[in-house]
Amino acid sequence: MRRDWHDFWGGTAMAAIGLGVAGWAAAQYDLGTLRRMGPGFFPLGLGLVLALIGAGIAVPALARTGTPQPIAWRESGAILGAIVVFGLGLERFGLIPTTAAAVLIATLPAPRSGLVWRIGVTLAVTAIAWAIFSAGLRMTVPLWPVGR
Amino acid sequence: MTRMTRRTLLAATAALALASGAAAAQDWPSQPVHLVVGFPAGSSPDTLARLIAEPLAERLGQPVIVENKPGAGGGIGVQTVAAATGGHTFGTTINGPLTTSPRLSPELGYNVAEDIAPVSLIATSPLVLGVNAETGPADLEAFIAAAAAGPEAIAYGSVGQGSGAHLTAELFADAAGVEMLHVPYTAYAEVTTAIVGGEVDAGFMAPSAAQPLVEAGTMRILGTTSPEPSPLAPDAPVLAGAAGLPADFSAELWNAFIAPAGTDPAVIERLNTEVNAILADPAVAERLLGMGWKAEGGTPEELAARIEADTALWGAVIDRIDAKAE
Amino acid sequence: MFAMDGIAAGLGVALTPSVLLYSLLGVCLGNFIGVLPGIGAMAAIALLLPITYHIGPEAAIAMLAGVYYGAQYGGAVASILLRLPGTPQSAVTVLDGYPMARKGRAGLALFASMISSFIGGMLGIAVLALLAPVLAGWATAFGAADYAAMMVLGLVAASTIGAGAPLKALAMVVLGLILGTVGTDVNSGAQRFIFGTPQLMDGINLVALAMGLFGVAEVIGNIRAADRQGTPEPMGFRQMLPRPGEMRTLIAPSLRGTAVGSFFGVLPGTGSTLSSFMAYAVERRVSRTPERFGEGAVEGVAGPEAANNAAAITAFVPTLTLGIPGDPIMALMLGAMVIHGIQPGPMMLEAQPAMFWGLVISFGIGNLILLILNVPLISIWVSMLRIPFHWLYPAIIVFVCLGVYSVRGSSFDVLAVAVIGAAGYALALARFSPALLLLGFVLGPLIETNLRRAMLVGRGDPMIFLERPISAIFVAATVALLGWTAWSAWKARRRG
Repeated sequence: MRRDWHDFWGGTAMAAIGLGVAGWAAAQYDLGTLRRMGPGFFPLGLGLVLALIGAGIAVPALARTGTPQPIAWRESGAILGAIVVFGLGLERFGLIPTTAAAVLIATLPAPRSGLVWRIGVTLAVTAIAWAIFSAGLRMTVPLWPVGR
Repeated sequence: MTRMTRRTLLAATAALALASGAAAAQDWPSQPVHLVVGFPAGSSPDTLARLIAEPLAERLGQPVIVENKPGAGGGIGVQTVAAATGGHTFGTTINGPLTTSPRLSPELGYNVAEDIAPVSLIATSPLVLGVNAETGPADLEAFIAAAAAGPEAIAYGSVGQGSGAHLTAELFADAAGVEMLHVPYTAYAEVTTAIVGGEVDAGFMAPSAAQPLVEAGTMRILGTTSPEPSPLAPDAPVLAGAAGLPADFSAELWNAFIAPAGTDPAVIERLNTEVNAILADPAVAERLLGMGWKAEGGTPEELAARIEADTALWGAVIDRIDAKAE
Repeated sequence: MFAMDGIAAGLGVALTPSVLLYSLLGVCLGNFIGVLPGIGAMAAIALLLPITYHIGPEAAIAMLAGVYYGAQYGGAVASILLRLPGTPQSAVTVLDGYPMARKGRAGLALFASMISSFIGGMLGIAVLALLAPVLAGWATAFGAADYAAMMVLGLVAASTIGAGAPLKALAMVVLGLILGTVGTDVNSGAQRFIFGTPQLMDGINLVALAMGLFGVAEVIGNIRAADRQGTPEPMGFRQMLPRPGEMRTLIAPSLRGTAVGSFFGVLPGTGSTLSSFMAYAVERRVSRTPERFGEGAVEGVAGPEAANNAAAITAFVPTLTLGIPGDPIMALMLGAMVIHGIQPGPMMLEAQPAMFWGLVISFGIGNLILLILNVPLISIWVSMLRIPFHWLYPAIIVFVCLGVYSVRGSSFDVLAVAVIGAAGYALALARFSPALLLLGFVLGPLIETNLRRAMLVGRGDPMIFLERPISAIFVAATVALLGWTAWSAWKARRRG
């Protein structure tokens, strides 16, 4: 029998986040009084509520069966990688090289093989991104690597 | 002979270095100049920066690109300027990020004295004390008398903990010998609504925020924080010296042109000259006035002195607030 | 009569060729930008504002406003077709719009969103024109206690919108509320959960959150699935139109949505994102078949879309008549007006009637253009579904990144999208509803700030919530709603 691991881990994660938030709030921020609530008051309360709800989700899940859902590791890696490359590269290497690199990385996990269509998508998306954001909206961002 | 050659060589190198330095300043700006603003497009500091940027571009012969880096009350903008290299990135900023932010938000990670080179003051604005026109006190004496009734008798709104409006109100309370209840909001529009709606009794605010409500007859101005009557609030009496307040009572918001530390002094001098020339143009001063700013100008040293004086002034106010909170 | 003179002068302004042209340009651009995931009205207006410095004030404002309400029309397209909200305001449209598209009714969903957007927009304009002076007083009557009580009612009412396990829905709302506390605490100035990052001092970027949760998570989950599941049948224009009975089902939700949207639009600080959530909650409450929601109920598209369009227009009421911008977009709009020498405020209707009525009329023309523009476009949008997903998704990712960056020129926000996207994918795997997280995130700061502010101005006396009539009504309604929910649950249990 397969347990409902999704809900178990989901609930456990919520409970952990809740406890973490509540603990951090209690330790770091002034709780104040009901009359004059401090910055820690709400996070502490919300954290504890989330911890309770998380436990309420996780515990019954152990007694249930669930259908496991595969995790798309390759896809997550490529998409998140593309975004990180974009975020780190944009101001240093400019819009055009960064967009091209991000698109190329994003296409890696696509179910279709081949290089030609990937280059085609890269060129098309880079051109559209330039046209809309740089030429159209005049976003102040370098187009090519900057020396400063 | 060899010594001669060496000496000449040394001299030549020195001369060359000097010449290239001068050439660098002469060639400057060799590429578009970036002007960083720590507030979003359309905000008052952004409008001011763009007003300066346009004539500056003409005078420098290079495009001046205004770059909005909003966040942390203008702190992200100053942080961006502090970290800039390449000699073509500068900024305009309001006073907060140069005076109080480094203390209130140490995570910004810049040190004004070490990381920022002052270029020129651009403009100043007083704050005015506004109250509800129907239910509020008639004048400053009545206001202070009402506040003296108890530490929470008068509640005032500000645009946030540690904002100019908050610190000015605390400076005022200390000078008047009263205590008032601080209710923080996030924008002047919220504060004025709260005053008109009767949620709070008073607030210090930019004259431009009070203007429409004064015209509509829903708000009354009790005074201005500028040392002398301001063209921005011509009808408002000066707070200094009135109703028992000290004669040197003064608090102003300002806007300044800054550069990253380590910028070539010749470039700073050039920028200072151009900014002052732009501010001397009556058309620019007129437009600034319409936006709620009084054109000023001045030397980099004067700006440095103002930063130092205001840091000390507001630092002391923050000390008192902190002590009260303990 | 005064208003008649104003309208005549306004017509003169609105029908000036340059105003017409820029208004048209604005609505088309807004519509297009709304369709693109990531970049919304906020970023587009901020980027366009400097460009408008050199055109006349009426044309500039008509254009920027056109971008704003045009984006509300377009935002639904990606929500319905790709489960990617084009703007945060249309996040709730995903809930029923996407299931409709999966059932081959994308055309109807798009048609419903366009018609209800039009109804919401036009009635919103009527509210703006007829009631502006009256409603302006309404905005100042709302104090902190009233806002707090109203938001709590909103939270209770809307917490039930997600299908699925109630406890998981509640977990998302609370997580959203927690994320809403990140940044500078308005009441104390304390920096919460920023971990030494100044970029977090103003809180998590709403656009980054919405795009990470919906866009990125959806793309990751669909790369493998999408090409296999096949694409819906291409449709003719005729099949897109609602069947005779369906047209009628659109009217009532649109009217209710308009009412909800107008209410929240006029109140500063609430915003159109919230109004679309509330309209959805209302539709679910009044429906006789609430179980259809989340499975493709057309009311779940029509209500929120009418609401966010009505709110986009009525948000101009406090902006124009009080000079109080209700949300960041309106603050930008106010800034634009000031730059162009227009001083919004209590005197504007009297001092600049031609400007006011010119804007009102140009909004009307703009909405008409959007309807005429969008109905034929529906078939083009639907055909977008025939583009293989592997061609589409790299573009989506880039637009999300650029859109988020453009909001405030922040690379940090782009990196935040990656983190939020990873979390969003994990939440999707565990079947948590991201829409509710977004709701908690929007409501949280409003509730906390106003609750604490109310206690402060009430000098620590909680009776302030019962003494103020507006607040007392909301408190009573909240109690009644909770009681009714508990009672119906108890009845259902006894029956079953």
